[in-house]
Amino acid sequence: MRRLIFHRRHGRSALHDSLTIAGSIGVALLAGYLFLEASGIDAAGAYRALLVDPLGTSYGFFETLVKAIPLILTGLAVAVAFRMRLWNIGAEGQLYAGALAATYVALFTPDFGLPRAPLMLVAACAAGAVWAAVPGVLRATLGVSEILVTLMGNYVAILVADHLCYGPWKGKTTFGFPMSDRFPDDAALPAFAGTRLHVGLFVGVLCSLALWALLWRTKWGFQVRVAGSNVRAAEYAGYRVKRDAVVVMILSGTLAGMAGGVELSGVLHRLQPRFSPGYGYTAILVAWLARLHPLAVPLVAFLFGVLLTGGEQLQVMGISSSLVDVLQGLILLSVLAADAAANWRMAWVVHQGSALSEGVVHD
Amino acid sequence: MIDLMGMGAGLVAAGMQGGTAVLLAALGELVLERSGVLNLGIEGIMLVGALTGFAASHATGNPALALGAAACAGMLMGLLHGVFTVMLGASQVVAGLALMILGTGISGFFGQCFIGQTAPGIAPVAVPLLADIPLVGPALFRHDPLVYAAVLLVPVIRYFLMRTTWGLAVRAVGENPEAADVQGVPVIRVRMLATAFAGFMAGLAGAHLSLAYNRMWIERMVAGRGWIALAVVIFSLWRPGRALIGAYLFGVVGAASFRMQALGSRVSAPLLQTLPYVTTIVALVLIAWRARLHRDADTPAALTIPFRREERS
Amino acid sequence: MLLTRMTVVLLSVVLLSACGDQASHKEDKGDEAGNPTKVDRKVGFIYVGPIGDAGWTFAHDQGRKALESRFPGLQTMCVENVKEGADAERVLSKLAQEGCTLVFATSFGYMDAVLAAAERFPATVFMHATGFKRAANVGTYFGRAYQTICLAGLAGGALTTSGKIGYVAPVPIPEVIRHVNAFTLGAREANPSCTVHVVWTNAWYDPAAEKDAARSLMDAGCDVIMSEGDSPAPIQAAEERGIFAIGYNSDSRAFAPTKYVTAAIWDWGVLYSRIVEEVLAGVWKSEDYWWGMETGLTTLADWGPAVPEDVRQLVASRQQDIVDGRFDVFDGPVFRQDGTRAIPADTRATDVELLGMTYFVQGVVGTVPK
Repeated sequence: MRRLIFHRRHGRSALHDSLTIAGSIGVALLAGYLFLEASGIDAAGAYRALLVDPLGTSYGFFETLVKAIPLILTGLAVAVAFRMRLWNIGAEGQLYAGALAATYVALFTPDFGLPRAPLMLVAACAAGAVWAAVPGVLRATLGVSEILVTLMGNYVAILVADHLCYGPWKGKTTFGFPMSDRFPDDAALPAFAGTRLHVGLFVGVLCSLALWALLWRTKWGFQVRVAGSNVRAAEYAGYRVKRDAVVVMILSGTLAGMAGGVELSGVLHRLQPRFSPGYGYTAILVAWLARLHPLAVPLVAFLFGVLLTGGEQLQVMGISSSLVDVLQGLILLSVLAADAAANWRMAWVVHQGSALSEGVVHD
Repeated sequence: MIDLMGMGAGLVAAGMQGGTAVLLAALGELVLERSGVLNLGIEGIMLVGALTGFAASHATGNPALALGAAACAGMLMGLLHGVFTVMLGASQVVAGLALMILGTGISGFFGQCFIGQTAPGIAPVAVPLLADIPLVGPALFRHDPLVYAAVLLVPVIRYFLMRTTWGLAVRAVGENPEAADVQGVPVIRVRMLATAFAGFMAGLAGAHLSLAYNRMWIERMVAGRGWIALAVVIFSLWRPGRALIGAYLFGVVGAASFRMQALGSRVSAPLLQTLPYVTTIVALVLIAWRARLHRDADTPAALTIPFRREERS
Repeated sequence: MLLTRMTVVLLSVVLLSACGDQASHKEDKGDEAGNPTKVDRKVGFIYVGPIGDAGWTFAHDQGRKALESRFPGLQTMCVENVKEGADAERVLSKLAQEGCTLVFATSFGYMDAVLAAAERFPATVFMHATGFKRAANVGTYFGRAYQTICLAGLAGGALTTSGKIGYVAPVPIPEVIRHVNAFTLGAREANPSCTVHVVWTNAWYDPAAEKDAARSLMDAGCDVIMSEGDSPAPIQAAEERGIFAIGYNSDSRAFAPTKYVTAAIWDWGVLYSRIVEEVLAGVWKSEDYWWGMETGLTTLADWGPAVPEDVRQLVASRQQDIVDGRFDVFDGPVFRQDGTRAIPADTRATDVELLGMTYFVQGVVGTVPK
């Protein structure tokens, strides 16, 4: 008599991880294919639209990169916090905080004789850091759940942005419509000729490299990673876990705030209420799929860019946005399932006892 | 003259009604989190519940049956979350977010044909005698049955968690699943039942929005209340009584911002709307402060940590 | 448990059968290939909300569908839920790239994106709703819904006995402020001492909040509710308390069978057909299409059963004045809330003044955020 049992794998190699991700994306695409066919939609055509437009045309490719930039920065923000088991789901709010600071510098500070764009980014980083420091400090000193405080922070930041757009910062040249005036020219990040792709991409990639170096090439990074995998071990080793937690939250907020500054300075050139389509939440998925690894974040962010901009293309084909949501949800669940399954090693074992009494189905 | 007392009573009534969907969802999530599982997909489940309830009432004309259908649909979504997180041990945060996207999509897709339709809803029921007390009656005793049901569920769930064997099992599994397993508590089964219950309650919460609070289906009509429910659970420190306070606080503050405007207040509306969130953070800090002194927080120690049995060996 | 399972099965059957035709209709585009009057053009739409919002986006999508039936062979495509941020320019460009000769952008916040995409695709005509910036291939359009809303206000003023009317307002932009003012001017024409109480929900889209806003207004003593939000929730809230309800966007009488007054509704198909015709004929030029009641773009819905005959006649005669051009809503003198004069006597407000309206008129209780 044989029986199917599951062993958990211990220790996973980078190769194994890569294979898992590739396999799970395959499973996801298959699940999506079946779902579309079941809904009476030409799935092959849909996939062509989903992939060819973002990857196959130069405009689509650059636009996908544009979409990926805020996802890289917020993805890194989430990844570094999650590394230390700090569940910062407030990247969205930190992004808005950054955007507000950037707007302030762009419109309401005197001319320092320096180009404004870099100053805007510095201000954005600082604002994001402050926004994340609050939950960080509350967590470290009082043990208040950072999940909740960061989540609440999202709502507060978005509403403050609403208040400013509808009230004090409403533009003089916008006929009373709720948006700030357009930023001066020196507030714009340089873009590549003829496209919307701006130097924010390099900022994102540099941040990714820097974060990797910080976490894997410094003693402090080692401490953070230890604290993330085993708090007790870290405390036993004498690391200052609470202080490190605050620093990590500040680092996380800095990155997310920068995303807000980069998005305004690089693409939007003015503050509009509710300008983010949920980058800070998508960032959680990006970070998780990247295994919280800084070097993988840009790649995964790009893949998400493909999925999101491709989703628009599906709508152009006449597939409703609800179906696109369902498809994206299914893809995520498939990746999740494949990933979880890869944690287990299946094996047939000969079972000694009576199958009947065990109630096990045997072959 | 403006009847301030009457407005006060209206405010309380509005707070209770506005808070009920949040409370129902929060109570389910509370039990689930006590068992060590976090479901971030409440928003999506509520949407599916809202649509299913509305559709079932539209089709059958029977709101009670519709409530059952909504709860069952929610339960299925909850079980889906359970299959991934409890049985496969997948990331709870990611599974929840995926479920939220999925629920938004499913409800939007199937809901297209119910836009602008009407269906029999759940009407308010005045409690005999009590409803006639001036001020108190209109404030507390003229609600739809789900409002009362949510209130009654609070002590029931409290009793279940603190005084029954199954409640003990839920807490044990959320506190230390390995120890519970050694003592023969079926960890996986308890957690699966908890995910089903949380889904059930979120489905009901959605149906409250589409059958009682608003009697209509509109795409994405939950409008963030699922996320508020998650916040309320943490605000409550995993205690049903405090969840009630949290949910009603959210309802009252939301309602107050409109009433202050109606009275001619010049306070900025968006800033006013930040109040529930800021209040929650402040309350949370105060509670945590107190908890640090008295050690009375009930945070489930194993929250978001998957249980894998053979890791023991 | 069996019962549960049966309910679920039953329900899926109901849902699937009700929606079964949804997927199939997408495939038969181009079936009219043999049709001699075939219009081989594509028209694109970009929406800020979900089509299922039962309000603003829904009304525009009805206009899109009207185009499809009016012009056989004309292919329309739409992208919904596009945020007014970085995504808009890409979606607009995509629609142009897909070969759309004409693209409608149906939300104010798309302004910068429309202008940028128009520069990239000079051969495509872009029409931006509620905006004010134009270019060689960018036109703007909207309707003078304030005329219809003023008439609705006239009815509201005639119907109130408490002298207080509640206005559920979504977000404080000039368009909504203009509508509140028009409503108030109408209401005070019928009842000079009445006041209009405004509550901002600060969302285009939150049915539960809209309902609560309506309730708070009723708690404050309002006995007529006007709602400019996207959902019929305030209408339903008013009906529950036996209070008159006036709607916006689309006809929502189903939600208030007894107390429905009327609604200021859109028929975008009228305007969209005209623009498509102009573009097809090659006579389109960049201008601002701001159509009034006389075109049928903005109309009053049929009266509800509880509206007395004299009120109907009062409104009908005023309506005729507007259509004939004898009267317009913002004919001076119009006074601001603080009593200062906004529009002098014997003057009609210019379109530019109307577009940038950021003050409330006398009779409004509420504030524009500053």
